[in-house]
Amino acid sequence: MHHSLLGRGWLVASLYALLCGCTSTDKESAALNSKDGLPIGAVIALTGNSSVVGQDQRIGLELARDQFKDEEPKVRLLLEDGGSDEQTATNAFRALIHGGAVALIGPSLSQQAFAVNPLADRAGVPVVGPSNTAVGIPEIGDFVARVSAPVSLVAPLSIQAALKQNPAIKRAAVFFSHDDAYSTSESKIFQQALVARGLQPITVQRTNVSDTDFQNQVTATLRLKPDLIVISALPNDGGNLVRQIRELGYGGLIVVGNGMNTPNIYPICQKYCDGLLIAQAYSAEARSASNEAFLAAYRKARGGAIPPQFTAQSYTAYQVVVEALRKLHADLPAGQILSALPTRELRQRLNAAILGGSYDTPLGPIRFTPEGEVIQNNFYVAQVRMNPDGRSGRFQLLP
Amino acid sequence: MDTLLQILFNGLSVGAVYALFALGYTLVFSVLGVINFAQGAVFTLGAYFTYLLIGGAVGANGLLAGLALPFALPFWLALPLAGLAAALVSLLVEAVAFRPLRRRRAEPLLYLITSLGAGVILVNLIQLLMGAEGYSLPADSLGALPVALNLGGAQVRTVQLVLLGVSALVLIGLTLWLEGSRGGKALQAVSEDATTARLLGIDSDGMILLSFAVSGFLAGISGGLVGLSISITGPYFGIGFGLKALGVLVLGGLGSVPGAVLAGLIIGLAEALVPSELSGYKDAVAFAFLFAVLLLRPQGLLGRPQVTKV
Repeated sequence: MHHSLLGRGWLVASLYALLCGCTSTDKESAALNSKDGLPIGAVIALTGNSSVVGQDQRIGLELARDQFKDEEPKVRLLLEDGGSDEQTATNAFRALIHGGAVALIGPSLSQQAFAVNPLADRAGVPVVGPSNTAVGIPEIGDFVARVSAPVSLVAPLSIQAALKQNPAIKRAAVFFSHDDAYSTSESKIFQQALVARGLQPITVQRTNVSDTDFQNQVTATLRLKPDLIVISALPNDGGNLVRQIRELGYGGLIVVGNGMNTPNIYPICQKYCDGLLIAQAYSAEARSASNEAFLAAYRKARGGAIPPQFTAQSYTAYQVVVEALRKLHADLPAGQILSALPTRELRQRLNAAILGGSYDTPLGPIRFTPEGEVIQNNFYVAQVRMNPDGRSGRFQLLP
Repeated sequence: MDTLLQILFNGLSVGAVYALFALGYTLVFSVLGVINFAQGAVFTLGAYFTYLLIGGAVGANGLLAGLALPFALPFWLALPLAGLAAALVSLLVEAVAFRPLRRRRAEPLLYLITSLGAGVILVNLIQLLMGAEGYSLPADSLGALPVALNLGGAQVRTVQLVLLGVSALVLIGLTLWLEGSRGGKALQAVSEDATTARLLGIDSDGMILLSFAVSGFLAGISGGLVGLSISITGPYFGIGFGLKALGVLVLGGLGSVPGAVLAGLIIGLAEALVPSELSGYKDAVAFAFLFAVLLLRPQGLLGRPQVTKV
C-alpha cells in the first residue's frame, strides 16, 4: 500500500514537472511581449571537463547583466548549461531558440560551436561566440559572430615572444588535443608559425581532452631533447601536461595556447606553471573606461582578483548584444517598442545591428566584419609568474 | 633497453591503479552479480578527500570556497583516511541505490540505473561544493623525495614508484585477507553462493556491506594515488578511469580477483606500448585489445565460463 502510494506520488510529481516544463516554455515565448525584458540566451560549459572555462564565463555574464541592467530596452539573461559536449549544447541551444531568445551567447568550445551554431543560423537567431577561436567559426553562417579573436591572429605572437627570449631555439615539440576543434586548429597555426621561423617541429604529439596521464608521450618527447614545447589544450589536460613535463625534467620554454588562458591552471600545474608563455586577447592592464568599469565590477565581486580573459570575453559578448539592442531601440519610431516586433524580424534586425556596430569593450575597441569575425586591435603576450606559495600567480605582460 | 624499461615503468604504474580500482568493481560484482556504476564517483571523492586532508583549500568557485580543514596531515596518513571516508560513501550508495532494490528483488538492470544515478548526483555535488576547477596535491606531498629518478636510463617520476608500491601493498594485503581470514573466506562463500552461505550461518547482508566498504576503500585509495600523480582534473575525472576499470573487470573475468590484477597490468602495459605519436588513440588501442581477447575468450582471461543447466 505504502509503495503504491509512493509510486503514485512519483507519477504525480513527474506529471507536475512535465507540466511546469511546458508552462515555462510557453512563458519564455510570451516574454517577448512582457515587461520581464528581452531574453538573451547564454549557453556555457557549466558541467563536464571544460566547466572550468564556463565558470569564468558565468562570472563575466553575470557582471555584465548587473552592469547593464538599467539600460533600455530591458533584457534578461537566460543561462543554460551547455556541458562540455555537443549534445548538451545542442539541447540548450534548441531550448533557448524555441524559448524565444533574441540572441545567443556561446557555446564555450569551438568543438560545440561547429555543432550548434548551424541550428541558430537556420533559425535566424544571432549568435555571439565568447571563446570560440578555431578557424572557420564566423563562416558557419550569416547569424554567427564572435568576440574571441581567431587563433590565427593571436597564437603566433607567443612563438615570436619565445624566440625573443631564447633566440637559440632550434628544436620545438608540439602537443595538442586531437579530439578538440580549437586545439587542432590552434596547433596548425602554431606549427605554421614555427615553420615560418625555420623551426620544423621535431615531434607532434596528439592527446585527448580527457587524458590525464601523459608520461609515455612526455618521456618519448624529452628523449628528442626539445628546447621549446608548444601546447594547445584546455585548462585541465594542459595544466596536467605542463606539470608532468616539468616533473620529468624539462627546463626549457613552454608556449601554451588560448585554452589555458585562465588562472584556473594555477591549482593544477602549481609552481610548474611559472614561465609559461601565452598570447592573450585581453589584458587587465589595458587602460580604457570600459575596462576600468569591468575591472571595478570584477574586483568588487571577486575580492580584488584579476579577471581572466574568458570572463572579459563573455562580458564583452553580453555588452555587444545589449548595445546592439539599445541602438535598435533608439532607432525605433516614437511609440514603438522592440518587443512588439515579430520575433523573427527582431532577431534579423538585431543581427544586422550587432554586425554593424562598433563597441568600446574591456577587450578594447572592437567591431565585426560582415561575416561576423571580430576586428580587434590589441593583443598581448604574457608570462605566468607564480607566487612563492606555488598556488597563486599572475599573467605578467611582456613588453 | 632503457626505452623498454621506460615503457615498463609507465605501463605498470598506471596498470596497478587500474587493477586496484577494478578490484572494487570485482568485489561488488562477485557478491551481488551487478556492476556499481557509482564507483567512479567514489574514486573521485577519494581524490578530493585526500586533497582536503593534506590541508588543501577549496578554490574560488564552489559553495565551500576558501574552506580548508584546520589541520594538514601527511600524505601517508591522509591516503588511508580518505580511503575510509570513501568507504563510508560507498556504504551510503549501497543503502540508497542498492538495498531498496535488493529487498524488492529487482531486475539487475535497475541496479545499473540507480548506481549510475547515485554517481551522477555525487559528481554534481562535488562540483557544487568544490567548483569545477582542478586541484593538485602539493608538489612536496612526498616530503623530501626527489621529483624524478633515473633508473637504468628510464626517467621515472617518484610518484609513479609510489603508485606502484602502494598499489602492490594494497593488492597483497587484500589477497591475504581474502584467502587467509574468516571475513575474507565468508565473502568468498557469499560470492560463490549466497543462499548456501546463509544456510551455513554467514551473514550475507553483512558481507554485502563489507564488499561495498572494501570496494569504496579501494576506489578512494586509487583516487588519492591518481590525484597525487596527475592531479584532480575536476569533478569528472573519475569517469575515464571508471570506464577503463570496467574494461579491466571484463578482461580479467567478471568477479575474478587475480583476473582484475592481471588485466589491469596488461591494459596499462598495452597503453604504454602505443607509440607516443599515436598516444591520442591509446584508449582505442586498449579497448580494441579488450575486444579481441573477449572474442577468443568471452569469459575473460581468468573468468570461469558460464555453464547453464538445461
